[in-house]
Amino acid sequence: MISLAGVGYSAGPTPIVEGLDLTLGGGVTAMVGPSGCGKSTLLRLIAGLLTPDAGGITGVPERRAFVFQDHALLPWLTLAQNVALPARYRSGCEEQVLPILARLGLAEHAHKLPNALSGGQRMRGSIARALAARPQIVFLDEAFSSLDGITRAAVQADFQRVARAEGWVVVMVTHDLQEARLLADRVLVLNGPPVRVRMDLAASELVEATVLAALSEPT
Amino acid sequence: MSSRRVLDAVGLAVALGMWAIAAHFAGPLLLPTPAAVLGSLVKDLPRLIGAAGQTALAALLGLGIAMALGLATSMVSYSSRVGGALLAPWLLALQVVPIVAIAPLLVVWLGYGLPVATTTAAIAAVYPVYSAGRTGLAAPSRDQVDLLRLYGASPYRVLVDVRLRAALPALFAGLRVAAGLAVIGAIIGEFVGSNGVPPTLGQLVVASARSARTDLCFAAIVCAGALAATLQLGISALERVMIGGWYGR
Repeated sequence: MISLAGVGYSAGPTPIVEGLDLTLGGGVTAMVGPSGCGKSTLLRLIAGLLTPDAGGITGVPERRAFVFQDHALLPWLTLAQNVALPARYRSGCEEQVLPILARLGLAEHAHKLPNALSGGQRMRGSIARALAARPQIVFLDEAFSSLDGITRAAVQADFQRVARAEGWVVVMVTHDLQEARLLADRVLVLNGPPVRVRMDLAASELVEATVLAALSEPT
Repeated sequence: MSSRRVLDAVGLAVALGMWAIAAHFAGPLLLPTPAAVLGSLVKDLPRLIGAAGQTALAALLGLGIAMALGLATSMVSYSSRVGGALLAPWLLALQVVPIVAIAPLLVVWLGYGLPVATTTAAIAAVYPVYSAGRTGLAAPSRDQVDLLRLYGASPYRVLVDVRLRAALPALFAGLRVAAGLAVIGAIIGEFVGSNGVPPTLGQLVVASARSARTDLCFAAIVCAGALAATLQLGISALERVMIGGWYGR
């Protein structure tokens, strides 16, 4: 169980997160909200990539992986080398790279540089790299938003299959309500800054009109 | 032949034609004709090749020193605010003090010969490498750096494994500029720091101008230009081999 207690974080004079209390459980949690509301900052705080100015975050598993919107593959490494990256810095990740690539349909692209891959293949490569890190929790920051509709649906399905098979705890940020409904168990509707949780509901209860109405209400 | 090449050939022919007309009116002492320069290039070829070899050696050694110094200072300056502040006055001095003014002092310190030209070449070339290094080290995306931090990479590993690698495109751009400046720096060093044993392009330019051999002076200048162009082409070729695949260039 991940707990945020009185968490605060500012970038310059503007507080992006202020006195936030929140609890995250297992399964897939999606944080949705308008652009600039601070949801990506909140995700980075939970992932430990940013340090809060106030309050504390406890219960985040040690073995973490992150899937970024721009895939963050290193352009000078082949796909296989990119996927093997976690093993260079973290023990216990010495899993065979090729079987991981094969699970995501990328085995034949193992020795290509990211530049030679399509957008969908790069994102699958990013998921494969997360898989190679043998994480207990995976963070996704608008991971599928740069893909075209058809590719996005296919990569989302691949991610869902892998996440279920591995039993990952997933915390994701998206601005796509349909994606949240498809992938998540729990949805947090946020606005801000500073970030506030306007709605906390099961993904099956997510209705677009209700979300828009909640976001348009004054805080 | 492509239309682009035809245009290049026409442009070159027009330029040579204008040069020949100007030389006709100016006279051979002031401005030699293209044919006279070509004649000197053929007649004095062994001497020019020997001189160009010496200048190339000074420029290459200077460029190597500039690469090492420029990269090291950019890494110190990027990694440490205090280090950056301590280096700033020296880098500013190297950038703003004219090399022509330093060269006589270098002769006093180092004597005549290769060391002076190598030092002036290094001084001329170091700032573009430093500047490109600073830009390049900041090139990786926040996501790429965060990813390595998440996997437990130390700041040193992030610097070596991501920042230095990601700096290569900017460093190659800086090196292309630095290569041309290294040749200029070497020749300026040779103007005052070369006594003609062995002959160098800088010394050849000064000596031939003083003895009214403007054809030889122009031939030496052509060699210096060819040397700078060759260095830049070599760096571009190395860039294609080393990082061409990263972005599909």
